[in-house]
Amino acid sequence: MWNNFKNGFIKENPVFGLYLGMCSTLAISTSLNNAVGMGVCVTLVLIFSNVIISAIRKITPDEIRIPVYIVVIATLVTIVEMLVHAFMPELYTSLGVFLSLIVVNCIILGRAEAFASKNGVVASAVDGLGMGLGYTFALLLISVVRELLATGGIAFYNPFDATQQLFAFSLEALKPYTISLFSGSVGAFLTFACFAALFTWIRSRSSKKEAK
Amino acid sequence: MKKALTLVLFLGIISAIAGLGVGAVNSITAPLIEERLLAAERENLELMFPGAEFSAIEGVSDEGGYVTGVFEVVNEGYAVKMETTGYSSSTPIILLVGFDNDGVITNVMALQEQETDGFGSKVFEDDNIQSAYVGKGLDDTVDLLSGATVTSTAVQNAITSAQAMLKDIIG
Repeated sequence: MWNNFKNGFIKENPVFGLYLGMCSTLAISTSLNNAVGMGVCVTLVLIFSNVIISAIRKITPDEIRIPVYIVVIATLVTIVEMLVHAFMPELYTSLGVFLSLIVVNCIILGRAEAFASKNGVVASAVDGLGMGLGYTFALLLISVVRELLATGGIAFYNPFDATQQLFAFSLEALKPYTISLFSGSVGAFLTFACFAALFTWIRSRSSKKEAK
Repeated sequence: MKKALTLVLFLGIISAIAGLGVGAVNSITAPLIEERLLAAERENLELMFPGAEFSAIEGVSDEGGYVTGVFEVVNEGYAVKMETTGYSSSTPIILLVGFDNDGVITNVMALQEQETDGFGSKVFEDDNIQSAYVGKGLDDTVDLLSGATVTSTAVQNAITSAQAMLKDIIG
């Protein structure tokens, strides 16, 4: 079970390993705040959808399992979206349409089909948590690099109250050299490519070790 | 046949449970969301309808896509916020228009505009916009301001679109 959980980070990291959920990853990784907010939302949806789908796996007719998964996932996403809209309006505005698009995030349907429909409730919950944290981890990496290069600093505010800044720092040395390109989609692709290469290198090195 | 019925029944039950869940959460969050929407707009609304009570009307939209917010002013009428592009493509014109219960315009306010000085800006100077629109009913027409055609056309299109939408709301 621990391996399931650990897999989500490096070996089967949903973003850098399985290349799932790329659309939202590239779009919302502009700031640390967005990354944390999106990561938590996806993780919550992933855990609950895995648990529910695993719980009803024995009574779900095989022919209509995909529509059932979609109904479960869409319900959870709608609930999360309404909660974010009500309690974290700032986050709701900055995430925009990508919050509702969690419905079609392949990580969630992928884990439902590949894992939750074949495994027990507890194992599915752990798998959801691991995958969700792996996704959040990938978002954090990309967003920190992008925010730092685009603005010369990192700012993080309390998602429940946007006026309250939890921490902020800026590198004066970096300020004159900020690259606004990194707040756009080109910067997202560049950052993503570098991390994807790094993760592939780590994986290939560890598999070579195992071979020896 | 029996198989198909089981499938339909299963998906129906799942959807019903899902609907119940969404409905339950919505009943908690809907008032909070409305409160947030109102809080952002309250300052401007107070300016237009001092001392009135407001509630946001959700799920309505106009054909032209100009309207960004619709508010019911209890016992007094409606306030519609809209956004349109005039001559300045970078800064949209944001308008707040007050209507009474019959849809007659009671007030027009430009919350934001950055139209060309001396041309488009004339639309918003000297109460020009108020004298052009205040008192007009849902079907009345308004003359464009010469020398500021682009801006006044933009304003007119937005307001006409909002009036058409309001017609449906008032019924």
